[in-house]
Amino acid sequence: MPARRSNTSRLRLHHLLVAPFASLLLVFFGVPLALVVVVSFFDLDQFDIIPTFVLTNYVELFGSSLTYTLYANTIKYAVIVWAITLVIGFTVSYFLVFHVRPFLLQLALFLLCTVPFWTSNVIRMISWIPFLGRNGIFNQSLIALGIVDQPLEFLLFSDFAVVIAYVHLFSLFMIAPIFNSMARIDPAVIEAAVDAGAGRFRVIREIVVPLSKTGIAMGSIFVVALVMGDFFVVKIMSGGQSASVVLAMSNETAVLQYPPAAASAVVLLLVVTAMVVGILRIVDVRRELAG
Amino acid sequence: MAQSGEIELCHLTKRFDRTVAVDAIDLAIPHGSYCCLLGPSGCGKTTILRMIAGHETPTEGDVRIGGESVVGLPPVRRGTAMMFQNYALFPHLTVLDNVAFNLKMRGVGKAERHQRAREMLAQVRLDQFADRMPSQLSGGQQQRVALSRALITNPRVLLLDEPLSALDEFLRLQMRGELRRMQKELGITFVHVTHTQLEAIAVADMVVVMDQGRIEQAGSAREIYTLPVSAYVARFMGGQNVLTGKVASVTDGIATLVSDTGERFSSPLNGQVVAEGDVLHCCVRRDRVALERVRRPPGALPEPTNAVVGAVHAIEYQGTYVKVTIDVPGREQFVANVVDSKFFANPVDIGDPVVARWVPEDVHLLTTSGQAGETHG
Amino acid sequence: MLRPGSRRRPWTFYGLAAFFTLYVLFLYGPMSAIFILSFQGPTGGLTFPMNGVSLHWFSALFGQQRTGDFAGSFTRSIVLAVIVLAITVVVSVMAGLAFRRRFLGSTLVFYMAIFSLIIPGLLLGLGVGLMFQFLGIKPSWYSSALGAQLTWTLPFGLLIMFAVFSRFNPAYEEAARDLGARYWQTLWNVVLPILLPGIIAVALFGFTLSYDEFPRTLIPIGSRNTLPLEIWAMTTNVTSPALYALGTLTTAISFVAIAIALTSIALIQRRRTRRGTRADAGD
Repeated sequence: MPARRSNTSRLRLHHLLVAPFASLLLVFFGVPLALVVVVSFFDLDQFDIIPTFVLTNYVELFGSSLTYTLYANTIKYAVIVWAITLVIGFTVSYFLVFHVRPFLLQLALFLLCTVPFWTSNVIRMISWIPFLGRNGIFNQSLIALGIVDQPLEFLLFSDFAVVIAYVHLFSLFMIAPIFNSMARIDPAVIEAAVDAGAGRFRVIREIVVPLSKTGIAMGSIFVVALVMGDFFVVKIMSGGQSASVVLAMSNETAVLQYPPAAASAVVLLLVVTAMVVGILRIVDVRRELAG
Repeated sequence: MAQSGEIELCHLTKRFDRTVAVDAIDLAIPHGSYCCLLGPSGCGKTTILRMIAGHETPTEGDVRIGGESVVGLPPVRRGTAMMFQNYALFPHLTVLDNVAFNLKMRGVGKAERHQRAREMLAQVRLDQFADRMPSQLSGGQQQRVALSRALITNPRVLLLDEPLSALDEFLRLQMRGELRRMQKELGITFVHVTHTQLEAIAVADMVVVMDQGRIEQAGSAREIYTLPVSAYVARFMGGQNVLTGKVASVTDGIATLVSDTGERFSSPLNGQVVAEGDVLHCCVRRDRVALERVRRPPGALPEPTNAVVGAVHAIEYQGTYVKVTIDVPGREQFVANVVDSKFFANPVDIGDPVVARWVPEDVHLLTTSGQAGETHG
Repeated sequence: MLRPGSRRRPWTFYGLAAFFTLYVLFLYGPMSAIFILSFQGPTGGLTFPMNGVSLHWFSALFGQQRTGDFAGSFTRSIVLAVIVLAITVVVSVMAGLAFRRRFLGSTLVFYMAIFSLIIPGLLLGLGVGLMFQFLGIKPSWYSSALGAQLTWTLPFGLLIMFAVFSRFNPAYEEAARDLGARYWQTLWNVVLPILLPGIIAVALFGFTLSYDEFPRTLIPIGSRNTLPLEIWAMTTNVTSPALYALGTLTTAISFVAIAIALTSIALIQRRRTRRGTRADAGD
């Protein structure tokens, strides 16, 4: 038995433990990412990649008005979905953490919210089609109730449908981190605030929101990144009437136009990174996560 | 392990980044004694315990057990066993498997280790709970399991980190007697960390009072309580009133001191050589102070000798005595513990002007000043 | 408010409860619609009303008509998910242990994990596809697609391990060490068993995230599809309730996985707090 595990050997142990994790990410995330950047400067000729250094891909990307429309559209979705999921995430977590007793019921209801997360996104998305369609459940109910005479057309294959599907798929990413933050708030802190004369909404503003900000930040990062990176919801739910940055990219890769797709990917990644860094500058997530 | 459980700490120091948790401590704890490390939170007592146990490495200095340095040895080879603050019983193992854990690590077969663990549990009358999970036991039962789990390693030193803090008052009193009895029976060294004065003097052969990483005083419980060496110990142990004054004159080894507010009192010098004008600290036990109600307001009295004059601030009935706190203008509060029969024969009320007197023989000179000079006197 | 059970519930409770109920309906309503529609009669269509009740569309799935290679893709998906589960559990538990202390490069690895999590999936898949193309290796579900999925499940596993370790009391480890356990003995006999519920959660994430993954897998999948890619292809060319039948089936698999994981976590927790006598202490 070694007399003592010295500091250096303990440090070596920690590196050994993290090595598989770091190497797998390096090989399947680091290297591919670097390749995308490299290929974005390559040229293209009739479906073949030519390894030279050109800026054509970027010039064409920034020269096309379509790019700006796509970004405007994608960012619009991201902002709307972020706002809606934030309201849902905060309200649901607040209800579960502060209004539901006993603890087991709270946990059960939280799990009820998370179960769909563990099922297929594509299936969950297409489940809206029979619901929102022209002869869908929603329209039939509205007609049956006499609220409208004609089926509503805007429900499916529209921006509305896209946003509904996004909220359906991604709101869990907002609920889980906020719930986790709120669950750590000591109830005595809140009772102290109530005893000090703070009303219900003052307590939320002065105590609950500041103490949940790590969760809010994490959830925001997830939702923004997921919406910005989506292509399948936009493709199916807008019925081809709308598009997103990644959908355009996926169309290019489908016809093997890799260098322009890579250039588009690099720009998108910079935009998403800027948004995430912006959120991280407001809230230091790591200190509260790993510390 | 039948070796000696004598512990010596030599110049033991622990620094965390910039802060000094333990500051060059020297201490010898005799084999087979019950030692309490006593001090407020953050005084370094738990750090010392953890360095003895091997859960913390000293920055400087040495820990010797039975005459041999154990720095660098893993806990199990030191012959120590530790009882953790909230017991740290493994939640996934039964009581029996918790107690048998050390034997399992040493490769003892299942039948034998369960047999020995059962015997151990029988000694603390918990054998019928052997198959329970820790969360199904009461606090007192958990503590006995933790004790069994530590003792099955046959240690020469048992280290207890705030062992009674998780119990309610009634159990705490019961368990501290139990610990004391157990230590006598086993004949091994116990080192017990606590922040409760009465707990320490109730169980320990040797009390070590600590402050800010240093030892203020180490001695028997009675010494610490009745003959504190410093104003810090006198105040921390709570049984004393601290007096401070300048030497006015010395006759027959007895100094007459004058305080800032003009009171005069005598203090034996115990052979210490002092000069006129030196500042000295001494103390007088709270239960040796006599209380007398005065009719005139305090300001109108002549300068008192071996007495202070003030108004009653608080009265707390303690069963056998009454604790009377007195506000004295210009100095810290003065406390008199009056035997209940005496108090109720001639009661005082809050706000009453009183004189608190004592005889010079009950005054004890404090030899080291500690931090007394910084506080009001 | 906020005082459990002490007073009558305020109006906010009912408001919030209504909101929560609506949200749960929103989550489950559409899904239950397609489960019902998957039992549509043979002449039924993609929407209500039901034209009878049958298992016609389920048998159509196995009939190899126009629905593609369902059985093959299903097997591949399950095998791949189990491989991902195993790698994710082992690798992220190890990484979680490492991250309990700061080490040289810990910040770098942490940010790499976060960005691996939030990078648009298709983009990551593009990169992995390019890498295999440059290396001259044929992409396949068990190599390139496996790697692409790990970039998604490993960071998730690490985040769960962070949450798990933040609730772990290090005194258990010291107690074990004090009782003579070495590093690996402590890990095996104390740390991992205590963390087992959290590790099962990591396994559940590893399995389901892989089983349902498709944006990252789409480009580097090679010639043989996994089930989600098969479904993705169907959404554009299958217009019969067979699609719903497939959805029902794959969701049922996910539910089985969730049920296994949650039941085992519940059993472990119950064992630790159970009343009465024991079954067997195990080892």
